[in-house]
Amino acid sequence: MTHSRRALAVGVVLVLPVVVGFAYALLGATDVIGGLGQPPGLARIQRVLSEAAVWRGTAWAMWVAVASTTLAALLAVVLSLVYDGTSRTDRLARALMNVPLAFPHLVAAAVGLLVLGQSGMLARILMFAGVIADSAHMPELVSDRFGVGVIVALTWKEAPFLLLINAAVLSGHGRGYQEVARTHGASRWQVLQRVTWPLLWRGMSPALVAVAVFAFGSYETMVLLAPSNPLALPLLTAERYVDPALARRNDAFVLAVLSMVIGLIAVAVYERLRSRIEDVGHV
Amino acid sequence: MSEHRRRTSPSASGRLLRNALLIVLALWTLAPLLLLIVLSLSRNWYAPAVWPSVWTGEHWGRLVAAASSQREALLTSVALATLTALLACLLALPFGRLIAQSRGWPRRWAAAMAFAPVAVPPIALATGMHFSLLKIGLAGHFGGVLVAHIIPAAGYLTLFFLGAFSAYDLRIEEEARTLGATRGAVWRRITLPILRAPIGDALALAFLISWAQVPLTLLIGGGLVRTLPIDVFAAIRAGDDARAASGSILLIVPALLAIAGVRVAVRRTGVVGL
Repeated sequence: MTHSRRALAVGVVLVLPVVVGFAYALLGATDVIGGLGQPPGLARIQRVLSEAAVWRGTAWAMWVAVASTTLAALLAVVLSLVYDGTSRTDRLARALMNVPLAFPHLVAAAVGLLVLGQSGMLARILMFAGVIADSAHMPELVSDRFGVGVIVALTWKEAPFLLLINAAVLSGHGRGYQEVARTHGASRWQVLQRVTWPLLWRGMSPALVAVAVFAFGSYETMVLLAPSNPLALPLLTAERYVDPALARRNDAFVLAVLSMVIGLIAVAVYERLRSRIEDVGHV
Repeated sequence: MSEHRRRTSPSASGRLLRNALLIVLALWTLAPLLLLIVLSLSRNWYAPAVWPSVWTGEHWGRLVAAASSQREALLTSVALATLTALLACLLALPFGRLIAQSRGWPRRWAAAMAFAPVAVPPIALATGMHFSLLKIGLAGHFGGVLVAHIIPAAGYLTLFFLGAFSAYDLRIEEEARTLGATRGAVWRRITLPILRAPIGDALALAFLISWAQVPLTLLIGGGLVRTLPIDVFAAIRAGDDARAASGSILLIVPALLAIAGVRVAVRRTGVVGL
């Protein structure tokens, strides 16, 4: 069918830069290009992938992605349940949650640094209130091992996006289903458990994958708020790409291939979840 | 729509909790903006001071000064984001429409391929693309950064238009054609007026994707293309918090306007994209 063929052609055009980028990264990773005398082969890939720093950086980036996505989802669900009406309070709450949408990730991270840093606003207020004696007593929230700063900044930024999706889900068929369940005698708790939660979960699940993969690759958030040990995968990639030791620069291509593979797996999962919603929607 | 929403009247303690939570929410969302505004109007505001002692307008004055690098960065960003919005929209509108006309697995695959440039970590995408852009002499130039910004924006907008066209009945166009309208007339009199709101939203979205972009600009521009986000990034790393704050506010304002605009458009038309 021509419609199918045209749609696929469009997809190919859009994915082409990724394919070209992937191909170049693969050529660099195997030292076919830019190897500086290194014979082409799998030696570099083997060496880089056996570095503990690479896997720790990958695991760390995944940790902050999963933690911030989970917190953002919890916040979005709670807020969409608490402020789901049409009163002034409800509308004000939803309007307030639009503010973080306007912040670029870079600015959210910069504010994170200004608020959570060792001599940031939080430390100053705590000192002013006499809770801590000086900034040395402030617990490390930025560049810390667990990524508290990164997680807070990403949660702050992503929760409103998930809230928008929840609102769209509930204002569609959701409201009707809830009312039908209530008319049939379901308790509030039963409606939440059997109707609202399944609806939200199904509606949110592809967005959760998208948010997690954005968080995983959020270079600007990590460069300002993440620790240098372990060095998160996006930072490690950028660092190797401009390494003063020229022979190590191609390492970045191995790491780029690794990130792209993780990103593409996320695309596959996302599409599966999304098409499940679409199929249900058409029935 | 929402008029039929019914709540069992909340108890007094429930209402108190909702109001208390609202205050926390206001602090959580507005405090960062307030901090940036105060910071952009202060001088030498260091720890442990919780409030600035010297106020100044000099950080804003820098934006009107003729030979200011921050102003130049602002203008570069405006040009880049505007061109990205126009070009990405021009590509994505027909693309989204074509995908919307297909069914089954080709539709799913096309949508997945459109999502790929959005989902792949930008630093990885930039590393891979840098080589090809170097080859054609675009790395380190405005044009190269523009191409790099259009790639994720076009993917995102294609998905957006796929959503918009899925709710759009193409039979209206066929009917107009059977009644004798030319292709051009169908576009002018039917397609464009119906899609005016989604097109406006799409332009705003693509503008913002470019407007907030950091890693692609940094790597493809190689430090030679200085946009406003790059200026803010450099300022914050150099410890020039006030300059970072005024730049940040400039980055936020268009997005706030766009979000307000998109909400108005949604309310007016009832069309919700992606």
